Amino acid sequence: MRNRISFFALAAAIVALPIGLAGCPNGGGEGGEGGGGGAAKKSIHLPMRTDGPKSLDPVQGSTVYDNRACSMVYDTLLQYKYLVRPFTLEPNLVEAMPTVSADGLTYTFKLKKGVRFHDDGCFPDGKGREVVAGDVFYSWKRLADEDNKPKSWWLVEDTIVGFDEFKAAQNAAETFDYDAPVEGFKTIDDQTFSVTLKKPVVRFLWLMSMFQLSVVPHEAVEKYGNKFGRHPVGTGPFTMEEDAWVAGKSMVFQKNPTYRDDHYPSADEITDPKDRARGLHEPAGTKLPIVDEVRFTMFVEDQPMWLQFESREIGYTQVPAEYFPQAFVKLTKQLKPEYADKGVQFHSEMLLDFIFRGFNMEDELLGGWDPESRTYDPKKRKLRQAISMAISWEEFNTTFYNGLNVVYDGMIPPGLDGHPADGKAGASYRGPDIERAKKLMVEAGYPNGEGLPTIDYYVNRGGNSPEQAELFARQLKKIGVEINVKLVDFSTLIQTVDNKKAGFFSFAWSSDYPDGENNLALFYGPNEAPSANHFNYKNDEYDKLYEKILSMPSSPERTKIYEQMRDMVLEDAPYCGSMGRERFYIINPWLKNFRPSEQFYTWVKYLDVDDSTRP
Amino acid sequence: MWVYILRRILYNIPVYLGILLLVMLALRTKDPVWAFLGKRKSVADHDALEHKLGLDRAFAVQYVLFVGDVVTLSFDQESWGQPGKTANELLGDAIVPSLVITAPALLLSSLISICVGLISSFYRGRTPDRVLVILAVLGMSISFLVYIILGQYFGAFILNDKVGHRIFAVEGYPDSLTPFTWWTYCMLPVAISVIVTMGYDTRFYRAVMVEEGTRDYITTARAKGASKSKIMFVHMLKNAMIPIITRVMITLPFLIGGSILLEMYFGIPGMGRRLILAIRDNDFPVIQAFTAVFAGLYIITNILTDVLYALVDPRVRLS
Amino acid sequence: MVARFFRSRGARKFMANRLAVAAFLVIAGYLLVAGLVWFTGIITLEETLGRIGASYQPGLWGAQRSGKRIEDATFWFEVAQNAADRGDFETARGGVAFYERRLTGELDADEIKARVARGIALAKEVLVVEGFDESASVLPKVDEIDAIVVELFPHPEGWDAFMYGARHVLGTDRQGRSISFRAIYSIKVAVQVGVVTALFAVLFGSFVGAAAAFFGGWIDHAVIWLYSTFSSIPYLVLLSVLVYMFNDTSVDKTLIPLYVAFGLTFWVGPCRVIRGETLKIKELEYIQAATAIGFSRTYILIKHVIPNTAHLMFINASLLFIGAIKGEVILSFLGLGVKSGPSWGIMISQSKAEVVSGFFWQIGTATVLMFVLVLAFNILSDALQDAFDPKHV
Repeated sequence: MRNRISFFALAAAIVALPIGLAGCPNGGGEGGEGGGGGAAKKSIHLPMRTDGPKSLDPVQGSTVYDNRACSMVYDTLLQYKYLVRPFTLEPNLVEAMPTVSADGLTYTFKLKKGVRFHDDGCFPDGKGREVVAGDVFYSWKRLADEDNKPKSWWLVEDTIVGFDEFKAAQNAAETFDYDAPVEGFKTIDDQTFSVTLKKPVVRFLWLMSMFQLSVVPHEAVEKYGNKFGRHPVGTGPFTMEEDAWVAGKSMVFQKNPTYRDDHYPSADEITDPKDRARGLHEPAGTKLPIVDEVRFTMFVEDQPMWLQFESREIGYTQVPAEYFPQAFVKLTKQLKPEYADKGVQFHSEMLLDFIFRGFNMEDELLGGWDPESRTYDPKKRKLRQAISMAISWEEFNTTFYNGLNVVYDGMIPPGLDGHPADGKAGASYRGPDIERAKKLMVEAGYPNGEGLPTIDYYVNRGGNSPEQAELFARQLKKIGVEINVKLVDFSTLIQTVDNKKAGFFSFAWSSDYPDGENNLALFYGPNEAPSANHFNYKNDEYDKLYEKILSMPSSPERTKIYEQMRDMVLEDAPYCGSMGRERFYIINPWLKNFRPSEQFYTWVKYLDVDDSTRP
Repeated sequence: MWVYILRRILYNIPVYLGILLLVMLALRTKDPVWAFLGKRKSVADHDALEHKLGLDRAFAVQYVLFVGDVVTLSFDQESWGQPGKTANELLGDAIVPSLVITAPALLLSSLISICVGLISSFYRGRTPDRVLVILAVLGMSISFLVYIILGQYFGAFILNDKVGHRIFAVEGYPDSLTPFTWWTYCMLPVAISVIVTMGYDTRFYRAVMVEEGTRDYITTARAKGASKSKIMFVHMLKNAMIPIITRVMITLPFLIGGSILLEMYFGIPGMGRRLILAIRDNDFPVIQAFTAVFAGLYIITNILTDVLYALVDPRVRLS
Repeated sequence: MVARFFRSRGARKFMANRLAVAAFLVIAGYLLVAGLVWFTGIITLEETLGRIGASYQPGLWGAQRSGKRIEDATFWFEVAQNAADRGDFETARGGVAFYERRLTGELDADEIKARVARGIALAKEVLVVEGFDESASVLPKVDEIDAIVVELFPHPEGWDAFMYGARHVLGTDRQGRSISFRAIYSIKVAVQVGVVTALFAVLFGSFVGAAAAFFGGWIDHAVIWLYSTFSSIPYLVLLSVLVYMFNDTSVDKTLIPLYVAFGLTFWVGPCRVIRGETLKIKELEYIQAATAIGFSRTYILIKHVIPNTAHLMFINASLLFIGAIKGEVILSFLGLGVKSGPSWGIMISQSKAEVVSGFFWQIGTATVLMFVLVLAFNILSDALQDAFDPKHV
């Protein structure tokens, strides 16, 4: 008996060990945080729904996550107005919007005075130097330097006088000379400079707000070399230490103490009454940035992100489609009472999305392009139209997106010039209309699909796309079209499309800037694969119109041409479409001033925190 | 003995070279460069990059060069997914978070399982033994993923909600490790991992103990009048150390590799998570370096296990 | 070989273990279901993919809380409205979309629209009531909404009612698919993966291992090198690399990548064990005697050595079966598993979003079904081990 007791005592002691370790389950707070004494530090914790940015070197960035991180530490010449919709630009690093010469070719900018780079060891005495015009040109020239592995040269390609020549010459030379002149770049004084374009391109102004063209100091690039992307130095509202970024996991930004004079927009800038109702006008005039510390956590899985939101740990979350019924009443698209009662707010925003199923117009079976006559086989057109008519986008919408998406005709997403009223364009082959689709199949020479070989359909394998592909196959079967779904990695999908090997594929385009021109460019002949015209669509008349609109500022006349171009494409049906997502955000009560946008990411500096409602 | 060790090492070299060969070949079944390039690119960009990264050289040359990197332990190619970081640095960053989870998990589950194994063998065939064995089998029959999904929901979210303050973080990893932050962020994943492995470990250790219990020396000790607990803890445990050590050794490479699922769900920036992210990013240099290191560690522990066996049982050396 | 196996002392010992026999019967039951699905198609793949009703319907008695009841009703209203709008009654009435639950044929388009409008109006009235989920005052309205749904989509009768019940008994997933049908169909998938993997790994591994040990020399060295190499590649890397290779090939959507992934890694275990056993058997007198009589080496290997390792093969097979079923879950999580149709792994990884909402039907169903099978195999392999290989550690 004695033996047994001692035996159990030992076992119990060992089992109890981990619990003994527990000791002090009280207290809270993030690890390593809360060190600084004195006044409460304003700290916010935000999610990133992925493994995060790859590099904080603006020229190496391309994803929205790179954009989010770069927007923290760098500034661009222009920025989006925080609360104004439709999207509008305002000066950021410059004093005023640039002046444009009469021929629309030369843009003159004047930098704000006294804007300083972050204090950093790369400057003498560690004090950030004032930004001058040369920094802007230096930063842009980095896009041309292939040693930087730039991902976004296409932004400025064939746009600025002498820039393409500069790129070719410097990359061919032994060393890349940043001091070599570019014909279109002119420094007038330390603050003033001008840029001359090859042709008047209206989208140039939008480029001025893209993070890839952020201003960086050459001292930092020279000192840190390929480490610059992990040790960013800019002029932005926040700074980041190198060890504050745990790759794929978290990033912590600190307020930039030398940030220039920048203020929360005035109350009358609010265009959406819902924003006013949420009190977004109240902080007008507050000096930016408002918070002292911003922590981002990357969530590769949705479950932890959602639980962290519900624990009030993170300030907001996007609502993944799977979680929508959890938080919202589907019928009214309003928050469920259990959320609303806790003070949770929500915001929804249409994304500038163009989701479609594209055809390769050079494909023998589906395209029927004849390079001799530069025309398309009309029978193939009927086939494409039939396929388009067989697809029910509404079913995709209800099945996979809780019916929140917008289904529309054409390639121009909602909210932009050229988007048809009610989403219905004059020429429409949007389904479902099985009867008409069957008729078109007969006209195409494949009654009930007879004689039509199985079509290879390429789709990215991620997310729920296997399920989506199943639904797609079922819809097409109704008119006798058989598809063979090829689930491939995204990189393989791009590669197959770029090599013109994919006849039929699923793709989506998010606008780079809020102008329909960006989407119309997808059908411009010279842009054919491997460029953005994945359809390899060629239409000489269309191309001429496209070249014309490039230099036209927004006007009813331009909108008319947009519509004309849209309908031309619709008639030829190089794709089946279209759909755009509506994104829902839910926001915890402690996060103040949040007006989400996925078009720009400079909004972190406007955010505030109310710690009284935080656990 | 030294000859034996040398022989084991020499023997394992071709195995390791084989692994490197297989992995490198497999990673090249597709063109990794296309994956790296962004939204818009051209064949010329592709070729330029391929050349720069040395992927246009003959495979044999690449193989020899990479083996050279492995021998000198210099994985200083820049990561594609995380430019500015080398594969070496990423390895260094990821090792600690993995160890902080797996080492305590191994320690706890071994300790607990050995105890439970002892108890079980002590009561062999009687009710406590039966109950423990059944529990172990039940535990083994549920998927790891289910443990994690439910563990995170009930163990962190619901528990915190009910208690009213945070006992375990839902996910995350502390900036600075202290016993307190460790408890908040790491205890739950450790606990889940202990629960998952305990079924297997308990069964193993029970079998070891039962086997030891039937040996002649136990009978002798008992005949000499030693107390039952003394027999268990002094004689049996001492002799069972060999399989125990072996078992722990075998687990070591997995320790460093971390647990992919746990790291993904609990946001722990360890090796498993890094590898998965690298695979998703097509981060070619990192995948190559990580696999080489994983396999190397595995081989080293294999050799160590062999040597340990040989130390204990000299007959092994002759075979 | 089989007959000899069943006459052995171990087999008798195994039969005496009642728990093991029960486990064996459970496994036989699963195999039977798998066989029925496979050969008779009592559940087709189509049925596991088709929508049967609203998303996230709870099982057994359906939704209890008003909010959820309204949400489910709204789904049927939408279906009816769409059908009436397009004048497309065929799909909704013909049971193409929702199987037994069909749109009534007794109402015309305008009548349907009127019912739907009434239902939606009622729903909106309820949804503005404070705390409508708990409030008893809204119940009459919610009941009326449900009554409208039944009027539009009458409950099926007879055999249809049974099928309808079977489909809905465990609720629906996000896409409104039957959880019960998906889980049962997954039995087939699991058994298929388990059987193919275990059979291949054990047969191949055992033969190679036995041959290596028996012939020795360079064959042995080559085999050891091969399995050392395979077992030293981190499991995850091997799998990802394999699936990466299969991706975009004609077998991509089949289970073949999964088989190969398991097959390549799983054969190592039996190979090691059987090789060790063969080394022992080789030294036994009867093998030496057989050699002395002049039988060919291959004959001895096949006729005398391998049959004597059968018990180890059985034990290994049941262990590998478990490994394959559990491995499938992990692979599905990593996006490398089954791609078309359901599997327990897919069900569990899909359910991670639902658990947060307190919806446990899918994860529960898949886990329980999987648990019982794995448990049975665990018990079986223990019993086999006890009976045939009692000294094994």
